[in-house]
Order: sequence, then structure tokens, then C-alpha cells
Amino acid sequence: MPEEFSIIGKRLPRKDGLEKVKGEARYTSDIQLPRMLHTRFLRSPHAHARIVRIDASQAEKLPGVMAVLTYKNTPKVHPRGYGKTEKFEYLLDETVHFAGEEVAAVAALSKEIAEEALKLIDVEYKVLPAVFDKEEAMKPDAPLVHPELGSNLYECPRCENGMLPVEHGDVEKGFAEADHIIEGTYESPWQHPVSPEPRAVVCQWTGDRLTCWASTQVPQRVGENLAYCLGITLSNIRVISTYSVGCYGAKRPGKTVVLAALLAKRTGRPVRAVFTRAEDFIATHIRNDAKVYARVGVKRDGSITALYSRMISNYGRDSYTGYLGPAYGAIDTCSALYRCPNTRYEGYFVITNTEDHGAMNGFGDPQAGFCIERLMDEAAETLGMDPVEFRLKNCARYGDKGMSLYPAVYGPVEWGVMGPDIDGFQECIRKVAEQARWKEKWQGWKTPLEVKGAKRRGIGAAIGMHTCMAQPLDSATVKMNQDGTADVFSSDPEIGQGLITAMAQVVAEALGIGYEDINVILADTRVTPYGAGVFGSRGTLAGIGAAYRAAQDARKKLCDIAAGMLGVGPEALEVKERRIYIRGNPEHGITVAEACLAGYQVVGNAVLPYPWIDEPTGKKIVPVSVAATIAEVEVDTETGEMNVLKMTSAHDCGRAINPQIVENQIDMSLTMANGWVRAESFIIDKHTGVVLNPNLLDYKVMTFLDMPKMADMQEIFVEYPNPWGPFGAKGMSETAMTSPAPALANAVYNAIGVRIRGDHLTPEGILEALGKLTRR
Amino acid sequence: MAGHTPTKLTVNGEEYEVRIGLRDTLADTLREKLGLTGTKTICNEGECGSCTVLIDGKPVLSCLTLAIECEGKDILTIEGLAEPVTGELHPIQKAFLERSGMQCGMCTPGMILTAKALLDDNPSPNEDEVREALAGNICRCGNYKRITECVLAAASMIQGGA
Repeated sequence: MPEEFSIIGKRLPRKDGLEKVKGEARYTSDIQLPRMLHTRFLRSPHAHARIVRIDASQAEKLPGVMAVLTYKNTPKVHPRGYGKTEKFEYLLDETVHFAGEEVAAVAALSKEIAEEALKLIDVEYKVLPAVFDKEEAMKPDAPLVHPELGSNLYECPRCENGMLPVEHGDVEKGFAEADHIIEGTYESPWQHPVSPEPRAVVCQWTGDRLTCWASTQVPQRVGENLAYCLGITLSNIRVISTYSVGCYGAKRPGKTVVLAALLAKRTGRPVRAVFTRAEDFIATHIRNDAKVYARVGVKRDGSITALYSRMISNYGRDSYTGYLGPAYGAIDTCSALYRCPNTRYEGYFVITNTEDHGAMNGFGDPQAGFCIERLMDEAAETLGMDPVEFRLKNCARYGDKGMSLYPAVYGPVEWGVMGPDIDGFQECIRKVAEQARWKEKWQGWKTPLEVKGAKRRGIGAAIGMHTCMAQPLDSATVKMNQDGTADVFSSDPEIGQGLITAMAQVVAEALGIGYEDINVILADTRVTPYGAGVFGSRGTLAGIGAAYRAAQDARKKLCDIAAGMLGVGPEALEVKERRIYIRGNPEHGITVAEACLAGYQVVGNAVLPYPWIDEPTGKKIVPVSVAATIAEVEVDTETGEMNVLKMTSAHDCGRAINPQIVENQIDMSLTMANGWVRAESFIIDKHTGVVLNPNLLDYKVMTFLDMPKMADMQEIFVEYPNPWGPFGAKGMSETAMTSPAPALANAVYNAIGVRIRGDHLTPEGILEALGKLTRR
Repeated sequence: MAGHTPTKLTVNGEEYEVRIGLRDTLADTLREKLGLTGTKTICNEGECGSCTVLIDGKPVLSCLTLAIECEGKDILTIEGLAEPVTGELHPIQKAFLERSGMQCGMCTPGMILTAKALLDDNPSPNEDEVREALAGNICRCGNYKRITECVLAAASMIQGGA
């Protein structure tokens, strides 16, 4: 029976909408403070070099230059990345490990003066051998990126000789039981987040206390990193997350924020550091590329007996996300996307002299999914099975094994189970097939939808999965105002995903007051309670989940107050439309404002309970969300050009708190996934390691004209309530990134009859597959 | 500062007297000197459209425009789009607000102003014309469908006299 909601599920205008349409929303790069200085960074032209000599004295003498930092006058500490993991990098190092790494930082009266000063810093480098390609770097004689590690393979706590194994069942037995074994090597490309606001921080000291405005998705982590690097306590640090712009995983300003704080300390003035677009391209972090060798065993009835995958990921110089980074998500897709008793994943995380690897929208699952979902299409073809039917039969279901990611890396491996809400998976697949008119269109294997001269049309399907609860803990506070309105405090920032809007809707619904009565305080570590930030699609279950429970706590307190005033027990009360009244007797009650006034200060608090245990099995639930996409394309076999005709995508978000926002999040990933495999090519010079296209002309993201028209972008919701989610809702945003790219690849195959196992569906990639182009 | 020329700029109907360096871009001048930070600079090199302002009614990339060249011209930024006396939003702003035509919001001012130039010129565009007109504005949050919907809705609103 559908529940009656007054605020949940409505297409309400965003809380940040008015500010954003008026140009009033404040971002970090908009902040100006009196006496503020500007920062520029000197960057290494070499991918691997030791600084033999560095002399900044001429730069320091330039009028207007207030401070210059080099490795010589900067504390030798490793900034912290994910959680409390230290990175390999120092704030500024005597050795540089990729082209673009910071060598010096200048604070000056203007950015032009700071830029001028960079030219006056005299640096002599001893160039060291470097390696950029992941497989080159694995060779025994490869130059070592970090010689102190003795290898270019990252050794996480559970790694065995640089390889992370995650095994369930017995793959050898599984392959022995198979009727067919299908295998292949697939690649997925690098992708830069291209956050619309390049990395930006502002630091200001007042006495011993530091205030830092940061464009970040993890303000508490930024504070912890500052405390660690500067040797001061969290009580002396305030990190304010302004509206943080389209983070997509990229907004973790590791050492930049520490360098800005040091410059501000040294000069006694506020310091702003904003990267240029080119700097953001070359010196933040990127989605790692990956090569996956995978083998699947299937029985004639279409069931899967074994899945083996070996994934090699280019890790870059270092990772913000530590051990978890490359493994995260990819293990899910390789082990648990399909129901299969015997799986083995082997992960290699290769360190190279390239930009750092880090989280980016999907974090491992899209890379693995782009590979595994092409393999599964081949498996369905081998069986002569409809690829949609194959996925319907084999997609994960309630009670199937789920990967608990932390133990996978830190050990021992602990298998949890998929929760009951994953049963929305089959509905996603059915609904997307229905909406895309799959049954009508699909003519069988090796039959394109249409052939007109050189132009061929094809259709393809894929499914995907991603965690919706990275880092389970979170907390929130709901503070009632005396007029019956409420302020919500959460450390999870608004990064464009719509978190504060959805949070306000949930809190208003839970408190029985109006949407317009809610104000969400943007994350500010001095005032908002602890929370890890927004990544791994955790905002809904963790951030909004905590706010929901804090609202319930406030509601309970309000009811206790009202119960005393009305002379009944609190359980007899109903709260609705800003009134607390005796259930069934709406006239007999008080307003929420009256209860607030009587309570003087009513505050609700919550720390999210975790873990969630599946009662029938006693195992931990692994929270995931799922999706399915069908793409239709037209390929010109003469030019290799691909036109995407239609994208239809179904997503289980548990419950759509605000449908407009969910649609926007789906469209974001459809667009970003199209860019990833169709156009965005992060080009690194094979000899120097220098990024050759750090700008939006040469690094091509999707534009209006690259994406299908309105009627041909279809978003479908499936709502299988998550038992722990606020009103059943769960995060879906990164899951949306997993299925579109392989759906495109499978559609291209249907069109041209040749499988592309490489990393791009660009015209070059397509012509190469057709044997019409040979790449050097 | 030396080498800076006192210049009169008319922005959103208000006259500002500001000292401008010969190489100062209009985007930087608006943002840093006039505090009009609604104009965004996603790329700051003419590739993304986010810094679009209207100069004498025409959309211009303010990051590629020298401020000194703008003397005597009528500059409209996002801050000047709402009705100046009542504060009522422009129909394009209303449509973006009602339909969630933004996510991170960084491209929004440039999108709205580019759309205004389109609708001033062509009050009832079709979908293709909207896509074509906005093709130079990049939205990394990928909301091209929604933004198109908003601009078409704004056109109807204007046509309907709302």
C-alpha cells in the first residue's frame, strides 16, 4: 500500500536554486577577504626528477611577493588522504614524481605578480628515468617511481606480491562445471573529473585559529589533514564547505590546503589558492584506467558457474584513496554484480609517474563494468541467449553474496549479503527493456537494427551496481527554532547533487512541518557534527539517513513536551501540518511552534546505527544500488563516427525523494559516461609523461549537441524501499555511471558486428575494430 | 596602481568608476573589482561559455574580453537579470528555479544569459534551436536535457505574458 507523503516524492524547487539562478551562491573562488593574497604554483616540467638546486631568492625580492615555499622551508610531512592513510607524497618534495607536481608555492599581492615570481625561481633538475604505462611499470627492470617501496606494485595489507586476491567458492571447480568458457581482455580509459570549479581554497588565521574555505566534498577530512600536517588540534581548525562545485570525486584538496595555510601563517594575511583549468587537469587526480582479463564459465541453461578477473589499474604517482581506491567498487562488479558461486578477483595497482589516481564518479565499478559487461554480452551471444534475458536470469538477488569492501583490502575477507532491496534489479531490467521497446527492436545476434549504406544502427544493454553507503558512519543535528521551523546541521556538503534539498524534504516530512520551514546549514566543521562527507553515493543513506533520525529524535522530544501540555501519553500524538494533536482528534492539540517555545531549545541528535544485519542469515548487509541501461546508436562505418540516438536508463533509488533531482543525477552520469568512452581522451606524451591536452578544446566533454534530444533521454525510477534508508531512499548517483558505457559498446557491436574490447568507442576505435585503421 | 586607467563601466544599469589595467579581462574585473562574482570562469580561456555576459544585448565571453574595451557599453550580468525594482525573477530564472535547471550551478549564469540572448532574438525557438544556441556552454553535470526543457518553458512563459 503506498504511503501518504506530503513532501517526499514532490518535485520541489531546490533549496539552493534561488541563489544559483541569481548568481548569489557563493563558491570558494568567489571569496575575497581584506588584504587577501593570491597563490601560484611552480610545477615540475619533468615526470621524474630530483631537485639538485633550487633558489627562490630572486622571486622573494620581486615587489609584491610576500612568501615563497619550497621543499627547503616546508615541513616534511605526508598529507593525509582517505581516512587516516598517509600518502607517499610530501607537501613539497626534493623529488618530483609526475609532470605538473608542485615544486614551489608563491603568495603575492596579485596572481600576476605571483605568476611573474615563478619565472624567477631557479631550479636545476636531475632527470630520472620514468614510467607511465601500467604494464611497462610492472616489468622487473622498470624504473621505480618510489624506490623506497622496492616495486611499482602497491602492497595493500592483504596483497600477495602486489596482487590483491578476493575469492569466493572455487573457480577451478566452477570452470570445470561450465559448458562454455568465454574470455577476453578489455580496457577502460582514464577520465578527468573536470570539476567546473578548479581546485580552490582560502585560508585565514586569527591568532592560533585557522579558518579554511574549501571547495570540497569532505570538509571534516580536510580539517583532519590540516590538523595532522600543521600539528594543531581540530578545535583550532574550521573548515567551511561553500557550495562545492561538481566534485565527481575530485574535491579533496590534500596538500593545496596545507600549503595555503602555511603561506597564510607566514604572511599573516588571508591566502587564496585557485588552480587554473590546466593545473586542475594535470595536478589533481583522475579516474584510473584499467585493463581487465576476464573469463566466465556458463552452463547451457544460461547460469554462470565461475567468473575470474584480473584487473590491472594505473594508480599514478599516488592515490588520495589509499589502499581502497582501485579495489573499491571493482571488486563488487567483478564478484557480485552477477549471481555466481565461484568468483576470483585479482587486482594489481600499479604506481607510475603520472597524475594521482583517485575517486571519480563510480570509483572502480564503471571501469570494471565497462569490461565485465562486454564479456557478459559475449557470453550471452555464445549461448545464443537474448542479452536482456541473460541479465534478468543472472543479476544479483537478495541473499546473494556481497562484498564488504574494507575487509577485502584490510582483511580478513568478509562476505556479507545483498539486502532485500536489491530485488529491484530485475524490475530495473524489465522496465528499461519495456521502455526501450527491446523485444520489438532486438532481432537477434549479428542482426543490426538497421543498415543504410555505410550507416548501421544497433542496440545494446548493460547493467551495473555500486555501493550506496561508502563509510557507513554519520551524524546530524536538528535544532528547532522557537517559531516551529528547524535548522539541520550535517557535515555532508552540497556539491550540486541536491543533498540539502532532499535532506530538507526528509526532515520536514519526519517533523510534520513545511519544506519552507527547513534551513540546512552548509557543512562547517566548527558547527556541523561529524560526518565523512559525500562520496561513494553515501549522502542519502548516511547523511540524510542521520538527519532523518535526528528529526525523529526532535519529534519525540516535541511530542513529550506536547504530551505534558495536553495531558496524554506521547504515543497518542500525531504531528502533521505544523501541529501536534491527539490522533483522530485534530482539534485537540498545539502547534509545533508552541511546543518549541515551551521546550525553550529543542534539539534532535543522531548517530547512524551500523552495521545492518540481515536477520535470516545474521550476515552484514552490503548496501548497493543497481541500474540498467539500453543504448541505441548509429555508426558510420566509413568515418567511424557514432551518433547516440537514444539512452534509456532505469535506477533503483529506493524512493525518489525529489524526482527532478534524481533525473538530473541520472542524466549527469549518462552524459559523463558518454564522454568517458566516446570523446574524453586524457593524452600523456609517451616519452615525457606530460599531459598534452589540459584544456577543454582538446579534452572533449559532451556538449548539448553530443547528447540525444529530450525525448530520447529516458530516466526510469524503480523504488524498492531500502529498509534503513530515510523513507526507503538510498543513493543512486554513482551507480548511474556504471551501465551506460558498456550499453553503448554492446550497441556498437550490434551495429557493426565487431567487438571493441579496447578503451574507446571513438571514431578511431571503431575504424580500428573494422580493420580500416591501424594505430601506431 | 600604476598603469591602471580610470574607466567608467555600465553594469546592470549602474555606472562604476574603476581602475583597469590594460590586460584586465572583463570577467576578472567584474569578479575581483566589482564583486560581481555571479559571472563564473570555469575555464577562463574561452572554451566553456560559463563567463557569458550580455554586452549591448549580445552574448560575449567575458574571459576573452578586455575590460577597457567595454567603456560606454551596456553590460548585463546575472546579478542584473531580475526586475531591478520588484526583484521579480526573469522567466528564464523562474524556469530554472522551478524545474531544477541546475546542479552545481557553476554553468548556470552563463546558460541563463546565453538563453536570454536567444529568446530576445527568437522568442519561440524549437528544441534544435535551443541546443544549437547553447552548444558553446558546457555543463559538466550533464543536464543538457533539463536545461533545454527550462529554456523552452521560459519561452512559453514569455509568450504567455507571464
